[in-house]
Amino acid sequence: MERFLAELALFAPAVVFNVYFAAASVPLGFVMAVFLALGKNSANPLISRLSRGYIYAFRGSPLFIQFFMVYSLALSFNVSLWKPMGISWFVLHPLFIGPLVLVLNTAAYTAEIFYGALRAVPRGEIEAARAYGMSQRQQFRHVIWPNLIRLAWPAYTNEVVFLFHATAIVYFALPVIGQQKDLMITAKELFERDYNAFLHFSVAALYFLAVSLVVFFLFGLVYQRLMRHMPAAPGMRFAPKWIR
Amino acid sequence: MMDDIAFWLGYLTNGKHLTWYASFQFTIFAALAGGGLAVVFGLIGATLKNSRFWPLRLIGSIYSSIVRGVPDVLFFLFFPLAFEQGVEWLMATQLCTPETLAAQSAAWPPCKDANWFLGTPEYLILASVSLGLVYGAFATNVIHGALRSVPKGQLEAARAYGMSARQVLWRIHIRQMWIYALPGLSNVWMLIVKATSLLSLLQIADIVLWADRLGAPNFLPTVGLVHEDWRWRYYLVLFVFYILVTLVSERAFGALMRRAGRGILSEAR
Amino acid sequence: MKKFLLTAVALMALGTATQAQETVRIATEGAYAPWNFLDDAGKPAGFEIDLAAAICAKAEITCEVITNDWDSIIPNLLAGNYDVIMAGMSITDERLETIDFTQNYFPPDPSRFIAPSGAGIDIATLEGKRVGVQGGTIQAAYAEANLAGKNTVVSFGTADQAMADLGAGNLDTILADGAYLEPVVSASGGAFEFVGDDVMIGNGVGAGLRKDEAELKTKFDDALTALKKDGTLDGLIAKWFDGRGPYFAE
Repeated sequence: MERFLAELALFAPAVVFNVYFAAASVPLGFVMAVFLALGKNSANPLISRLSRGYIYAFRGSPLFIQFFMVYSLALSFNVSLWKPMGISWFVLHPLFIGPLVLVLNTAAYTAEIFYGALRAVPRGEIEAARAYGMSQRQQFRHVIWPNLIRLAWPAYTNEVVFLFHATAIVYFALPVIGQQKDLMITAKELFERDYNAFLHFSVAALYFLAVSLVVFFLFGLVYQRLMRHMPAAPGMRFAPKWIR
Repeated sequence: MMDDIAFWLGYLTNGKHLTWYASFQFTIFAALAGGGLAVVFGLIGATLKNSRFWPLRLIGSIYSSIVRGVPDVLFFLFFPLAFEQGVEWLMATQLCTPETLAAQSAAWPPCKDANWFLGTPEYLILASVSLGLVYGAFATNVIHGALRSVPKGQLEAARAYGMSARQVLWRIHIRQMWIYALPGLSNVWMLIVKATSLLSLLQIADIVLWADRLGAPNFLPTVGLVHEDWRWRYYLVLFVFYILVTLVSERAFGALMRRAGRGILSEAR
Repeated sequence: MKKFLLTAVALMALGTATQAQETVRIATEGAYAPWNFLDDAGKPAGFEIDLAAAICAKAEITCEVITNDWDSIIPNLLAGNYDVIMAGMSITDERLETIDFTQNYFPPDPSRFIAPSGAGIDIATLEGKRVGVQGGTIQAAYAEANLAGKNTVVSFGTADQAMADLGAGNLDTILADGAYLEPVVSASGGAFEFVGDDVMIGNGVGAGLRKDEAELKTKFDDALTALKKDGTLDGLIAKWFDGRGPYFAE
């Protein structure tokens, strides 16, 4: 038991890195996803094609490869771009490039969710808004967006948890700087010392599970607030569909 | 000009690159075996979840929620290690004598005889099983949902024909379940395909490891072609490869769904 | 069922036991030229692969060279996935706590710093710089202990990855084995140069074994003694390190 508590303490600094990676990429990914979803739905064939292609490429390839590719690509521009601009230390830092790749990745998955929700917004409500003489902007602000976010929220919650899980592979692909180690690297290093796979990996798993539950709880609160106008707000279940 | 042709032909004749191309077999094997096992584990998990006996139901639910609650890569690393240690522990109970136990200086295995050597084939099989276990948990949910989507009337009709419970399950229920499960299973398949990029974490010399080795900068002519850092080009090839696999899989599942959907009301789809 | 399981386990154990007697598995990294690398046929090659062949011929045992990532090469030796490590691994006191080493087959060789030519780095007063190392090496431990306070130590999975980052200007300097860096510097056409004083760490390179493999260790040690005496080892060093040495013969 004491050993277990000591182990929990050992992993506490590591979980900060995983939470940081997820927290840094969620807001940006959200914004980017809204634009991508609108782009995919756009009447302009060029914008629609580009958004569609982007979403397809980043949903259709492994995050692991995306990490390697973006890092080595960024590295090859170092001498010509980042160095002269003086931002080399920043651009190639895992704490920057990690969230960058996660944003690129989660934006594609989230955009697909938002696009699906966008298509599911009731036609009648949009027609009614148009009949009221609302501008395009007003329609989006007052009718489409509130519907979209309510429809998409359960699936989006799911995606955020997935994104948090995806932070586990960041340091398998990027260089480790000093003592900046996340849960997986910590578990792997401890395992290589004493071969106790059950202890070290279970503790890392517990941390992942605990943070996932917190995410579910917080996003559930937001969902209840989003649905507060409904007579009986449907509570969110743990693990709704869990498919990306 | 001739030099250019010779250079590009090198990609077809160079042994290191041929090994890289050959290593695609590991990825393909892991995807196919992992996919097949995921369906098997999914069926088992869904049966457990549907069971009338509550402890079994509990086991089914725990399996599908715990495995999905942790990152796939964690389970992917943990399962082969845990399985190896489990087997070695079993071997130790049979093979170790007090003397050999005392002679052992390392932390693991318990004694020298209880050592199981893992090479690429063993790792590949273990990797496939753990892919199957992880994504079987996702498939459990998909199949569980699909089993409940089969219209009750179909099952009642089957019972009215005097079929036994087993016959109803295998001839009607599971047969009709597929059409509802296919869209979800296609999602699971895509996840498995993408997860095969992690094989190099288990010491399998797969396409990702080779891309890193081949693309790394090289200064020594004895080692191979001298070039600077070319890694992103190799990763770009893999990026495109995975997108193509996704494209082909999507087409294949589309065709499968059309075929499976024959004779079923379109509202079911 | 239980009986079947036990039989299966026993058979497997028998299989591995007989296998272990037949061939000695030697693990190498395959990404540390000219010590060990993958040749154009995709097979392991280099100084250590030639040396392994010479040792096994001398000791009259069958050997098989396999590759394993550097960062898990000691754990997988302990786990019994192979019997010997020959991967440019320096003999250190810290490693001797977990594994055994044969006598060294490469003389103690200084670790050196390299940097892009003309960068004007002063190693003696290094501050605020980015120092690249390969994770889990003696150089990584040295940098962590002596340079980490004032500089950023970046560790990579392979030495080649660190070289890529140095080439792209993401690192100011790399600390690595002199024998690994020398061919790189001379082949780089003046792009890289050695900077600062050399650092003497490690007691030369040896083959790593599990502590309970006394018999195998003796075989390897005897073979190495013979190879040192008849000049085969120095010949291999001359062949793979461009005649630079260092040699065992005075």
